[in-house]
Amino acid sequence: MNLNIDAEKQNTFDAIVVGTGISGGWAAKELTEKGLKTLVLERGRDVKHQVDYPTMMKDPWELPHAGQLSPEELKLYPVQSRTYWVNQGNKHWWVNDLENPYTEVKPFDWIRGYHVGGRSITWGKQTYRLSPMDFEANAKEGIAVDWPIRYQDLAPWYDYVESYIGVSGQAEGLPQVPDGKFLPPMELNCVEEVFRDKVAEKFGRKITIGRVAHLTASLPHDPSRGICQSRNLCDRGCPYGAYFSSNASTLPAAQRTGNMTLRPHSIVHSIIYDEKKGKAVGVRVLDAETKQETEFFANIIFLNASTLGSTFILLNSTSSRFPNGLGNASDQLGRNLMDHQYRTGAEAEVEGFDDKYYIGRRPNGIYIPRFRNIGNDKRTDYIRGYGYQGSGSRESWTRGVAEMSFGEELKNSLTIPGKWKIGITGFGECLPYAENRVTLNKDRKDVYGLPTLSIDAEWKENEKAMRKDMRVTAAEMLEASGFKNVNMYDAPNNIGLGIHEMGTARMGKDPKTSVLNKWNQVHEAPNVFVTDGAAMTSSACQNPSLTYMALTARAADYAVREMKKGNL
Amino acid sequence: MNRRDALQRAALVLGYAVTGPALTGVLQGCKATPELPFKPVFFSEDQARLIAALSEIIIPKTNTPGAIEAGVPGFIDIMLKEIYTKEDQDKFLNGLDEFDADARETYGDSFSSCTTEQQKAFVKKHHDAVFSGKVEGASTGWWNAGGGGEKPFMLKVKELTILGFFTSEPGATQVLQYNPVPGPFKGCVPLADVGKTWAT
Repeated sequence: MNLNIDAEKQNTFDAIVVGTGISGGWAAKELTEKGLKTLVLERGRDVKHQVDYPTMMKDPWELPHAGQLSPEELKLYPVQSRTYWVNQGNKHWWVNDLENPYTEVKPFDWIRGYHVGGRSITWGKQTYRLSPMDFEANAKEGIAVDWPIRYQDLAPWYDYVESYIGVSGQAEGLPQVPDGKFLPPMELNCVEEVFRDKVAEKFGRKITIGRVAHLTASLPHDPSRGICQSRNLCDRGCPYGAYFSSNASTLPAAQRTGNMTLRPHSIVHSIIYDEKKGKAVGVRVLDAETKQETEFFANIIFLNASTLGSTFILLNSTSSRFPNGLGNASDQLGRNLMDHQYRTGAEAEVEGFDDKYYIGRRPNGIYIPRFRNIGNDKRTDYIRGYGYQGSGSRESWTRGVAEMSFGEELKNSLTIPGKWKIGITGFGECLPYAENRVTLNKDRKDVYGLPTLSIDAEWKENEKAMRKDMRVTAAEMLEASGFKNVNMYDAPNNIGLGIHEMGTARMGKDPKTSVLNKWNQVHEAPNVFVTDGAAMTSSACQNPSLTYMALTARAADYAVREMKKGNL
Repeated sequence: MNRRDALQRAALVLGYAVTGPALTGVLQGCKATPELPFKPVFFSEDQARLIAALSEIIIPKTNTPGAIEAGVPGFIDIMLKEIYTKEDQDKFLNGLDEFDADARETYGDSFSSCTTEQQKAFVKKHHDAVFSGKVEGASTGWWNAGGGGEKPFMLKVKELTILGFFTSEPGATQVLQYNPVPGPFKGCVPLADVGKTWAT
């Protein structure tokens, strides 16, 4: 008995954070900096900044097979390779699909990595605020449920997060993508400047440089992070810490407080709910290496295991009080799965500028903020809208195979950069639909014997109508800018491929129709906070990571205040 | 080692473009068996000789290294072994056999034993055929990789040669230019300030 009490004491913390990705890192930093002894659990292996980026300094000739994977290696990544991004430089950042199965009732690309830092190592770094319009849209249009917060609730937390992580961007004064705390913007190249000016002149639409979590100036509060060197090898891990990741930024900050206990190889599969106390008291952890099960306890639990990871844990946390999953009285847990649709747009050739080039490989592109269904622009075929991301560049040596020449002529011709090209792809909002959902699948187990997820989701009419417009309008803008050989494209794009899955434990005002309240607390278990993408009530069309970080910092602040008041 | 072998070895060390004309005079056509510039793990020695010769015709040594010096034949050999599926390996080897059979019909000897001038002429014939749509599987004028057909052998080798060459250190750093750490991005500069195509 004493032994048990000792063990329980050893395993008891002020707070537990589940997950170390973009939001988990923030929960860890905020809670430890506020003095809470915090256990941070990560299901994958440890990844130390710089130390554990094995390919970060490799030159092209140091990677086998010019970076390509062998058929044997690809067999490990049947889902992850749907991105076409898995290569010798980054293969260690993607899950082994054979060990991490799920069921696609309809095609759904679940792209992820299980290791400390999660997808904060491989994310696209595009960093945009949601706007007042985005938080109001559901209520105005009668879609799903209203957000329980407004832009003003989150604005100071956007400020706070941007200032800490470092966001490069250009202030534009656009209400649909509010300006933030920006480091100097990256430069446009010659043809992007032309495109910007033409689109402004002919359409009155703004093209701006992408807002990205890359340092273009040093951060006085975090001298360990350096300025972007334009290598564009971000997906290997950055030796300079120039882009924001948990590994380079928030986890070291949490470590410095002395309050963090980071435990890798720790698969949280459920939350312990104490029926007598009427509250969640801890989590159950399966050690991925030893297969041993351990319980850990805390006053506050932050779920940051990724949208579907956190949803899985809640669905798998059943008790007589919560037979269908913790906090699921509303039956909304697992529903309203959203993503962003992309990989459709247009590209073109740009004549001239033969004597112009650029220096560096900018890990960023241009951004065209949403203009649809704003002001006088009213679509009859769909609601909401999309933004575009893209870039211009000169053709490189890869064009060589299509050249009519070979031999010395080919070799010489490839030493001169080829034609300028420019392309844009839309990123479109997805509406929340109750029937787009994930459920617990107890018939199919993973390698640890745990249940898995079944995912049943698809794009619907609003998304399909928007998608058509995304490519047609892209072509229209390129044509109007005077570019040649404009070519529309529409590449296969299962839901999930946007890697912006969100919405399966949505925030709302009413416990009957939502899982989380306005502070990201589970309505029915208020010491459990979910602050990753699962919380999203609508998807907007902006890249969402900044919003997850801001929601996390805001919720952590609230949690600690409430705890100190004795309310949690 | 006879004189011809010695010359051939010198040719491989120094590169065809330098010694090519001399070889042509000495060898008088298609009777040399060039030494292998690498030890193949997938190809037979004869196949490896052909691939080496063909890649060097596609990207020859000039005042900068060519395909052989950059290790391209060995790169192609390993790509075939480790990246190609069995089916694609077989198709590649069939293409190689047909290519060499045509060389034997045309010149009476294996492609790799032909003079550089003969090899150039032969590659031109096959390369032109691809681009004029005369090869089965090729679209008119230009091969359309998205078209779903089988890429002609000539283009497979060309693609592998270009990929292996420009991701090699000599290709990236001596023929093109490579800057592993460019520093802050400059979006619009005179090409003259840069000089050549960036390797990455």
